Amino acid sequence: MPHSLTGTRIRQHRSRAGLSQTALARQAGISTSYLNLIEHNKRGIAGKILLSIARELGVPASSLTEEADSELTTSLLEAASTETAPSAETSVLAEFAGRFPGWAQLLASVYRQNRDQEAVIAALSDRLVHDPFLAESLHLMLSNITAIRSTAEILTSVEDIAAEQRTRFNAAIHDESKRLSDATQALIRYFDKEATQGAPNEAPDEVAESDVASMPLERFASTALASDFNPSALASEFRTNLHAVFRRLASLKNEGVDAPEMGLIITNAAGQTLHRHALPDFPLPRHGNACPLWPVFQGFSQPERPLQDLIELPGGTQFVTLTVALPRSEIAFGDSPNYQSAMLFLPSDQSPWSPVPQPARRVGISCRICPRENCAARSEETVL
Amino acid sequence: MSKHILIVEDEPNIIESLSFLLDRAGFTVSSEKDGAMAMERIRDLTPDLVILDVMLPNRSGFDVLRDIGELAEAPRVLMLTAKGQARDRQTAEEIGVTRFMTKPFANAEILATVQEMLT
Repeated sequence: MPHSLTGTRIRQHRSRAGLSQTALARQAGISTSYLNLIEHNKRGIAGKILLSIARELGVPASSLTEEADSELTTSLLEAASTETAPSAETSVLAEFAGRFPGWAQLLASVYRQNRDQEAVIAALSDRLVHDPFLAESLHLMLSNITAIRSTAEILTSVEDIAAEQRTRFNAAIHDESKRLSDATQALIRYFDKEATQGAPNEAPDEVAESDVASMPLERFASTALASDFNPSALASEFRTNLHAVFRRLASLKNEGVDAPEMGLIITNAAGQTLHRHALPDFPLPRHGNACPLWPVFQGFSQPERPLQDLIELPGGTQFVTLTVALPRSEIAFGDSPNYQSAMLFLPSDQSPWSPVPQPARRVGISCRICPRENCAARSEETVL
Repeated sequence: MSKHILIVEDEPNIIESLSFLLDRAGFTVSSEKDGAMAMERIRDLTPDLVILDVMLPNRSGFDVLRDIGELAEAPRVLMLTAKGQARDRQTAEEIGVTRFMTKPFANAEILATVQEMLT
């Protein structure tokens, strides 16, 4: 869309300058009808005429021809691609951003905040539902508050309370206040601990150490780059399994290697998360209750078969995923194999792997924060 | 003869304030803190109304509620709990709770509810 907003900007500057179309056209040496076409972006403008108009408006010519901020345009496009905006007129997006820059910035800002808050809601929702300490703490605090409120109401609204009873009520308020204070402090300590300890489901140290030992960073990084991050080739080269290669690939970026950042989730058949490495646009629930449509869960239906998929989150972002379910230990006669499924993923526009031929499968993060309607896999109502 | 209310609740200060309120309103009030003892007290006392907490020691309020539903002459039940999520309300309603109220409550609100349930 080169200079598609130039006319719009000329019109804005002319209006601010209090000039009529006729006056500006005359000063710039062109006809009013031609300026009218330019201002409605129906004619291109450059060279002498552009310089002349800019001079008459008292602005640099570049300020009339610069494209709208690309980050703004990207955010607006992302917002328009969400399910909640199926009829947004993307064909006039540039004109919208140019004519109403303030509103466009606001819309983009609201969209970005909404997207970020969706990730926060996912984490909080996950915690509220599955964290027994938090559930117990909140229950205790609500009970404390109930006792304090009810007792205080009696003390303030009932006059003829026996002295002994009044003393008991006062003691109750004192006790419950202290318990509430203790519960609050315990909760704060709990969150402080969480904040300093990091995610609970990151790979256990011994796993990370064994991965490093079997796939030393320098050699692994160079081999990965040379093979376009091909997990099968890496597993063959380092004589290890695909899950170990997935873990190593997901850690590369954090170890300073110039590689695309890859997310990873490994679960058991019960849906319990054993290893998680989330990406900014792809949050992962800590305690299960993830979207059952994720390929990582499909992996259990086709054990040991590598699966490559293209998935799309509600925000419209697409990810390429590599999934494989492997037995946790050697398969033995008489034993049921204990499978774990791993899904390595990264945004489709950063994928080093060959394109996935099939259309993107529409998935969510977790039912509680998923806006998709009529989803056969939904297990609980959304809070959105 | 005054109506009899049994409070099944493990928080002693909530029992104290509720008992005071209900007693002043003219009800006969008893209480029980242990979920496992609740049914025995209900059979003994045959209360007109049970105010029942969900999270009780040794036996949940939902389990007690199921047993109440099997009594030949079941008392009315006001479920009073800190758990106010839709799924808990749904569970209680499926089992057969008469009314459901979440903590924290206002004294006037619970008194009005109890009086409405017993008239």
